[in-house]
Amino acid sequence: MSQAVAPVRHVLIEGNKSYHNITEDLSSPTEKAPSREWIIAFSIAAAFLGLYVFAVCWTIWKGIGSWNLNRTINWGWDITNFVWWIGIGHAGTLISAILLIFRQRWRTGVNRAAEAMTIFAVICAGQFPLIHMGRLWLGFFIFPFPNTRGPLWPNFNSPLLWDVFAISTYFSVSLLFWYTGLVPDLATVRDRASGFRRKMYEIFSFGWTGSAKHWQRWESLSLILAGISTPLVLSVHTIVSFDFATSVIPGWHTTIFPPYFVAGAIFSGFAMVQTLMVITRKVLKLEEYITLNHIDSMNKVIVLTGTIVGVAYLTELFIAWYSGYIYEQFAFYNRVFGIYWWAYFGMMFCNVVSPQLFWSRKIRRSIWWTFFLSIVVNIGMWFERFVIIATTLARDYLPSSWSYYSPTWVEISLFSGTLGLFFFLFLIFTRVAPVVAIAEVKHILKVAGSQFVGKNATTHDGHSTVQVNKEEN
Amino acid sequence: MHHDNGIWVSTEDLNKEESFLQAAEKEFSVENMAETDGNWTASRRDFLKLMGFGLGAATLAASCEIPVKKAIPYVTKPDDIVPGVANYFASSFVNGGDYCAVLVKTREGRPIKIEGNTLSSVTSGGTSARAQAQVLSLYDTRRIKNAGTIENAEVKAMSWKDLDSKVKGQLQLGGNIRLITNTLISPTSKKALAEFMEKYPNSKVVTYDPVSSAALLAANQQCFGVRGVPTYKFGEADVVVSFDADFLGTWISPIEYARDYAAKRKIKSMKGATMSRHYQVEGKMTLTGSNADNRIQIKPSELGAAICTLYNEVAAKLGGSAISAPALNDKAKAALKKVASELVANQGKSLVVSGSNNIMEQVIVNKINDLLGNINTTIEFGTINNLRQGDERDMARLIGEMSAGQVQVAIVWGANPAFELPNAQQFRDAFAKVNTRISFAGTMDETTALCTHSAPASHQLESWGDAEPKTGHYSLIQPTIAPLFDTRQAEHSLLEWADSPNLNRQDDQPYYQYLKSHWASDLFGTQSKYSTPTAFWDMSLHDGVFEMPAAATTVSFNSGISLNAAAVTQPGTSEIEIAFHETVNIGNGQYAHNPWLQEMPDPLHRTVWGNYLSIPVEWDGVNEINGWKGLNDGDNVEVEVNGQKLTCTVVRTFGQLPGTVAIALGGGREIGGCGVGFGVNVNPWLPVDGGLTQYFAKEAKVSDKVGADKKFACVQYHHTMGVTAMGKEEGTVINADEKTLGNKGFQGALTDRSIIFQVNLNELPELAEKMSEFHKEAKHLNEQTLYPDRTDFYGTGLKWGMYIDLNSCIGCGACQVACVSENNVPVVGKTEVHRHHEMTWLRIDRYFYGDLENPKVVYQPMMCQHCDNAPCENVCPVNATNHSMEGINQMAYNRCIGTRYCANNCPYKVRRFNWLDYTTADTWPANEEQVFWAEGDEKPFYADNLVRMVLNPDVTVRSRGVIEKCSFCIQRIQEGKLTAKQENRAVLDNDIRTACQTACPTGAIVFGNLNNPDSAVSKARKEMGPLAYKVLEEINTRPGVEYSAKVHNTNEEMFS
Repeated sequence: MSQAVAPVRHVLIEGNKSYHNITEDLSSPTEKAPSREWIIAFSIAAAFLGLYVFAVCWTIWKGIGSWNLNRTINWGWDITNFVWWIGIGHAGTLISAILLIFRQRWRTGVNRAAEAMTIFAVICAGQFPLIHMGRLWLGFFIFPFPNTRGPLWPNFNSPLLWDVFAISTYFSVSLLFWYTGLVPDLATVRDRASGFRRKMYEIFSFGWTGSAKHWQRWESLSLILAGISTPLVLSVHTIVSFDFATSVIPGWHTTIFPPYFVAGAIFSGFAMVQTLMVITRKVLKLEEYITLNHIDSMNKVIVLTGTIVGVAYLTELFIAWYSGYIYEQFAFYNRVFGIYWWAYFGMMFCNVVSPQLFWSRKIRRSIWWTFFLSIVVNIGMWFERFVIIATTLARDYLPSSWSYYSPTWVEISLFSGTLGLFFFLFLIFTRVAPVVAIAEVKHILKVAGSQFVGKNATTHDGHSTVQVNKEEN
Repeated sequence: MHHDNGIWVSTEDLNKEESFLQAAEKEFSVENMAETDGNWTASRRDFLKLMGFGLGAATLAASCEIPVKKAIPYVTKPDDIVPGVANYFASSFVNGGDYCAVLVKTREGRPIKIEGNTLSSVTSGGTSARAQAQVLSLYDTRRIKNAGTIENAEVKAMSWKDLDSKVKGQLQLGGNIRLITNTLISPTSKKALAEFMEKYPNSKVVTYDPVSSAALLAANQQCFGVRGVPTYKFGEADVVVSFDADFLGTWISPIEYARDYAAKRKIKSMKGATMSRHYQVEGKMTLTGSNADNRIQIKPSELGAAICTLYNEVAAKLGGSAISAPALNDKAKAALKKVASELVANQGKSLVVSGSNNIMEQVIVNKINDLLGNINTTIEFGTINNLRQGDERDMARLIGEMSAGQVQVAIVWGANPAFELPNAQQFRDAFAKVNTRISFAGTMDETTALCTHSAPASHQLESWGDAEPKTGHYSLIQPTIAPLFDTRQAEHSLLEWADSPNLNRQDDQPYYQYLKSHWASDLFGTQSKYSTPTAFWDMSLHDGVFEMPAAATTVSFNSGISLNAAAVTQPGTSEIEIAFHETVNIGNGQYAHNPWLQEMPDPLHRTVWGNYLSIPVEWDGVNEINGWKGLNDGDNVEVEVNGQKLTCTVVRTFGQLPGTVAIALGGGREIGGCGVGFGVNVNPWLPVDGGLTQYFAKEAKVSDKVGADKKFACVQYHHTMGVTAMGKEEGTVINADEKTLGNKGFQGALTDRSIIFQVNLNELPELAEKMSEFHKEAKHLNEQTLYPDRTDFYGTGLKWGMYIDLNSCIGCGACQVACVSENNVPVVGKTEVHRHHEMTWLRIDRYFYGDLENPKVVYQPMMCQHCDNAPCENVCPVNATNHSMEGINQMAYNRCIGTRYCANNCPYKVRRFNWLDYTTADTWPANEEQVFWAEGDEKPFYADNLVRMVLNPDVTVRSRGVIEKCSFCIQRIQEGKLTAKQENRAVLDNDIRTACQTACPTGAIVFGNLNNPDSAVSKARKEMGPLAYKVLEEINTRPGVEYSAKVHNTNEEMFS
């Protein structure tokens, strides 16, 4: 992509890399035998995935009665997890699409992994609307297809149906976007591989030759997909928030939910990207590609969105008070001080207070703080969804039906199981595809011009080295 | 093919003719088979191959197991059965002293539902939960299936013939014979009994009641010379004072009393509305007390003192002689003074009743009524109520006889003394000394288990019989199904053993003939309505009841009786007293094995499956309401009464007087069915005073928490709606409910929402004004919508709606059981109720309000409100729930995928999800271990085909994973519409009556077409004017159900 480059820019890729170094660094994880750490992590993830499969089978076999939901609280951990995962799945597209449009070139260091994370998170999220159904085997009823039952169509008024469209669209577009980005990189890996691996990569890279026409089409497609994705980043969580906002239950029925949910989603998505990147850059030795600057930038997004979320929380309370409607006030009083007060304060602390630490540059650029706080934020975001769902339902209109809810082992297993599923997929991803977009990173290698001037300038020797390497390729 | 092996098939073959050989050569060739040259389609071999494969494949495919559906058509269709059309048979529900005139609905020969019989002037079409649940007990898998000997609580089969000869042999030995029964109200049974006693002159009937009214009978004998319960006219009394008598729930004839009581309290018009005033003086909260206008709290042992105090107050005004009343708490004393002046102001129009089982107390109550001129006006002895006849002192004598070895044969008929008596252990010991012990019980119980022989009586729905609940009010019992097992009516057995010449043994139904001839010979002559015995019988059987106007009889109080205050209960002095009460569903354990009744929440405590110790709650004056001793619902405590310890589970109850606790009777059944293992048997705790069982103990020791019931099952955790109490910080009476808001303890809520409206009678116009304002405000709010208004959508044709008069609803729960029965609502068991998975479509919410220490109660039947702007409908992704043109919120179970969004979005929380395979609809049993299993059963409750016979074939049995809810009895609506269509007329009110509506003894529920201005429901709503409201009217759900405000007639100066 040709674009205006400021004469003075800081380097986006550290370590004085050459193009060849980039290829080497980023392709090699797919070529080496897995490390011990990877194997351990993978085994744990696979074990949790096994637990997940077991818990799903158990749920389907026994019925939703194997969960602890009740006649008052009909959604609990299931939909909490769904919304949580969907939220996490927002960062990837945001990084890929919106940051692309905003010309945030630093995004290339993390976009591949973030997009992968998005896809895996959406896969995890998509599990819950399915398994929370009382009759999963009839789940196909929600699709509008011509049928002999009348024909009988789904209810287009239902936010759950909107969810189906929103999420499936989001998933398909994200998948396409991610895979499009992968094609040239897979070709790179193919070119370096031999035998069976080469054949496989040959297939998956769709016969990419690197011709100018390929690059041109590739770039066009990337831009188009970015354009399509951009509104999706905002729409998906908006629609998910409609599940609550369009209901009549006090505490759900609020117009603030769409922006509040979107901000929360980006917030949690970035936090999850941080969690993953901090580990990935360490384990795959990508510190020079995913730099402290990346972490710093993303922490800035976290502090921004965290603050937006905090404002949303306070707005909710304010509006409840300002409405002068005592039942609305009760709903929020109950949200804060009711039976699930601990979840509310957990949420407030994790989501609003803890990210404020990122105002400090030192903490923003600290790996350990970032890692720790990113996890705290995601715990907080889980609490947020739980607060919205369980607290609200537990104290709705008729006091006679008020209730309480805590999960069974099955529900806990399903949640930890999706974590297993997520990491299972992510770990496989780190082994089969370059975790950082090789082609895109190469674009930004020289943006700062430090390769040509200053202390990092390529020496003549270095230049010749590049030449030699090229021949070897 | 030809072979030279000496075998030939024809002469041509034998002769080896050329033509044959050629033909034989070609026999299996393709050319031979071809139809047209070279164009043939299949050879024989191919054909056979294909056929073989086809058959094989088809056989394999067909041999996959598919469920066999047993549907056997009638070879010869009975004349009176049209498949798909229900038949109704007039009959009666009688169980000891419980009576209800009923219609039994049968489908294809199966009784499936009990309805009230409107022709009876005793019950007037009302029913009770117990009557509604009777049909399930017919299909009890634990029923004894044949006659036999009893070993280790099991019946070893033997033929009736053998049993008869064995029993007769014993009877003829000449020893004493004793029959143990509960109250018998059947004239024909009594006749059979008389024949038996004539044959065996040394036999005697001993009658007691599971919950005794012996003192009342004895007192009436003393005071009026009549050993019987008079007719109490609650409908004619302007002031009702009840001393511990639960006349709306369990006392003597609750259906009748509730009807009259509610009629007197109906708000008929806004202007000049009148209603009776009801004072309840009690030491525990009963269903009746919860409905009272003023509840005067006393310790259980102060009952005698309270009665004496009232007597003295009344006597002082009306010229009776004073007695020295025992000390009574000051508050109650002052209150009773005011009650007395009100009674005196309403002489002849008041009624004082007492549930006390102390003769002198009952005598004093009679005297109060006598002084007030109520005898022969509101208390009428011309028509005696036969529903209580027992006297436990007779049982004590019997125990003496049995211990002394003076009884040769004991026959137990419908009673369970080994469980129900306070001295059950003594009974058991004594009973063991009886040589031959015979039980008529249809299911195993504690007493039958001790018997030697079982002669199982048929279930009432399989039997003939009659009843005379009140003098001159006859009621017939007719079988609605042939006996399911090899059982025989008890009367038949007695007559058989008496070698009765009147029993036509050749007849198919000998007792039917006996009954019929009794009616012809003994009853026909006493009436003049019918001219032939056949007409008399046929019409009575058709109507189910036959009533003769009672002769007017007046009685006068025996002036020779001296009132002796020393003979009443003297107040106890211990720290904690305990009261025992009967619940509307379980009785004293008689109904404990009926899962419908076990799972019907106790109206007051809202608990199921067991009896719980109700303890007082305490208000700390600031922001906490706590259980006594810091106990929480579900905590276990050890309670010691009479030196016997039991571990009871606690339920915190508003209105339980500090210093008292209470627990229901009937828990802890040991043998016989699904009630085993639930609750504790408190009968051994009941003290006996002067031979009479007392339903309180002066001293109880309650320990601190010793554990918890991990499956504590209560369907309502938040109980209050704005209870008030003195605030320490405020120095005034405050809304304690709201003050506790945010406190993690017990209760705490915003109240005063449009869920319940209640008012005192004298402020009715103010409330009407307030509610008019509210309706206006709600209308205004509801008009603020972006969407086109569709109210006129339902303006034509039929629009179904309901009206529930909260003022008439007494919370008895008959509607709830009726709904369960009509709509195949599954029983889920205690664990599932504990998890809040109860499936009831109709529930009765109970809220306490008013004074925290002595609150009032409002009951609110809550079912699907059939909102015209239903929140559930627009959120269903698959349109499984939608609105009919007639304003009904419909559920298409087949379409439901179980997202439960609708249930979340229902403001009334009436939608029920099938969390598990409650109805065992799945084909595999492996997922059924969490659904309801009766104790000791080999399969889930509903998996038994016998139990499934109770299912209403008109209502889909829901499977796992779908939502269900009240349908306004859509099957009845369809049926009613079809009837009207066939008769080419508009639908009338009577065509369609919902199950809850027909069950209600007080007529609190009205259903009908809202578009018809003349329908009962339209009229009722109109009459109430602004007092009729929709729950949560302001949120624009537009419910099809309206409620009316609860009106009390409280004497507000009572405690001031």
